[in-house]
Amino acid sequence: MSSDQHSDQPPESGAPWGEEESVTEPTSAVATHEGGDAPARRAEPEYTLVGGDWEELPDAVEDDLMVLNMGPQHPSTHGVLRMRLTLDGETVVDNEPIIGYLHTGIEKNVEFRPWVPGVTFVTRMDYLSPLFNELGYCLAVEKLLGVTDEVPERAQIIRVIMTELNRISSHMVWLATGGMELGSTTAMIFGFRERETVLDLFEQVTGLRMNHAYIRPGGVSQDVPEDFVERANTVVTEIPNRLQEFEDLLTENPIWIERLKGVGVLTAEQCLDLGVTGPPLRSAGIPYDVRVTDPYCGIETYDFDVITGEDGDAYARYLLRIEEARQSVRIIEQALERLQRTEGPVMLQDQKIAWPAQLALGPDGIGNAQEYISKIMGQSMESLIHHFKLVTEGFTVPAGQVYVPVESPRGELGYHVTSNGTNKPYRVKVRDPSFIHVGALPTATRGLLIADVIVAVASFDPVMGGVDR
Amino acid sequence: MSRDTNPNVTLGETAAMREGDLELERTLPDPLVAVRDRLVEAFGNVAEGDADGLEVLADRRELTVVTGPERLIELLAFCRDDPALQCELLSDLSGVHWLGGTHEASAQATTGWPTYTEQRTGRIEVNYLLTSISHGHRFRVRVNLDDEAPRLPTATGVYSVADFLEREVYDFFGVVFADHPNLQRILMPEDWEGHPHRKDYPLGGVEVEYKGATIPPPDERDY
Repeated sequence: MSSDQHSDQPPESGAPWGEEESVTEPTSAVATHEGGDAPARRAEPEYTLVGGDWEELPDAVEDDLMVLNMGPQHPSTHGVLRMRLTLDGETVVDNEPIIGYLHTGIEKNVEFRPWVPGVTFVTRMDYLSPLFNELGYCLAVEKLLGVTDEVPERAQIIRVIMTELNRISSHMVWLATGGMELGSTTAMIFGFRERETVLDLFEQVTGLRMNHAYIRPGGVSQDVPEDFVERANTVVTEIPNRLQEFEDLLTENPIWIERLKGVGVLTAEQCLDLGVTGPPLRSAGIPYDVRVTDPYCGIETYDFDVITGEDGDAYARYLLRIEEARQSVRIIEQALERLQRTEGPVMLQDQKIAWPAQLALGPDGIGNAQEYISKIMGQSMESLIHHFKLVTEGFTVPAGQVYVPVESPRGELGYHVTSNGTNKPYRVKVRDPSFIHVGALPTATRGLLIADVIVAVASFDPVMGGVDR
Repeated sequence: MSRDTNPNVTLGETAAMREGDLELERTLPDPLVAVRDRLVEAFGNVAEGDADGLEVLADRRELTVVTGPERLIELLAFCRDDPALQCELLSDLSGVHWLGGTHEASAQATTGWPTYTEQRTGRIEVNYLLTSISHGHRFRVRVNLDDEAPRLPTATGVYSVADFLEREVYDFFGVVFADHPNLQRILMPEDWEGHPHRKDYPLGGVEVEYKGATIPPPDERDY
């Protein structure tokens, strides 16, 4: 086939060459004209490199340093992160992270919607821990409303279960992607497999695998299904075995140790100065956990340990995350037991705040229960008006400013929410741990080899959706 | 904050009841009372007649101290180094823009309150959230700036984490942090015009049509 086409269109007396000559001829003529008696020279093709960074290159050449762009489209930078590495040979002299490729203006968008739809926005920030984002936002709104203590017990337990499950799934993805970036496809398969079991649970409860908008100001959108406890128990009993599989595969693995030990070290002092929290800070020996210092949803009443490491390197962070997943399992087991004992509503009883949450499975997916619809459509005009007002305009929140942190899988996730007394947030600022950790990368990667930069970045587990928001 | 100027909140029977709640919210937990006393002891209090002292605000059991730009770095360094405060972490640094001019606050549709007008000078408040792990307390240091040409000294010398955080505030609000080592846009493209989180910066958006009716973009909706 191809040979036919070639024979159909033979180059006519070297047409490509002839064309190029006809283009270059006038150029060289001009050059001759300007240069006086300079010999006519065939014009060199001119290449223009785009991208501002190259203009700073001459300095680097002078010092025998090389500037290398890693990312944004690089399979092992953990997302669309770009790092401008200054290299001396293969050693990193400087590293400047460049971010913003996933910036979607979520914080600005939230300012133009009522308070409840804000949940659907913030859940899309850090897409590996959506429930923590929802929880942080909802806790902040509840604190502004002054209803923190009125959220029903059952809702609080469900929140704890869901977020701790989310912690496990997030750590599993970290192992999967972190392992894959080092070439361990087995770790990748294992990690995503375990995460899948947790996501199946999420799907059963919220209807979605990610971006749930399940936690709402005042409680959660609906109660868990009847067989939830049973299914969750199955998952939770299985996870420790699977974690053991990881440990068998990696903990004593000489390649894993060789690649992770002593890489990306941050001492406790450096961590604090750079604002680093979560697993990296704890792996350096400081037991700072928001679940203990600023407990939320009654998490202080559960029995669990704050895990710390000593070395503050990538290997310590790996061990710490595995152990944290085990602690989450402990919390979930206790919470599931409490859930069976606790009856009651899952949403605030104040009907001026509580989003209509009489949900049921309808023919077109999830929707309001038939009974509720016939009430507002057929029996009670007042209920209909109330429903309509609450859904379109929402509720007003007294003016003020609060900061509420939660312990996300990556560290302290803080919601700094300002209200000016209307039905929309005035400003929602998210202190995303990934953002802070990317800022700490220059210090953590200085002096490493290029191959180790990948390990160091992965060990912080930055999620670019959260970094760029 | 509009609580003091909003007649609907400051007048009336409901407001009086609400004042009772506020009183409770304005009480601080014991650790923060100690922090407040320590800060006032070192830097003075505007309410007690010190011209360049701190303004102390308590709301929803959170402590905020307001200082001027001149003493900001001194205050942050004090919070970090003082053994009674010992704030190891600068947890957060963020801005809030309050637009200047006359505003018609129309909460009629949502609250039933009468419409009222508010006169404000434009300001940007920059909030530094400090956390002490050793003592387990958290409080805010706030600086109010004019929104015309906001300028602050950099805190990178006190907390390295301020590097990224200040770049974000510069990017979104246009606050220039003097002597910052690398003050350039961080999330928006380098050649972007304007500072998106200022309130006079539009959200943008298009009308959405559905079955013949249209829904205006979010920043033009009435509710």
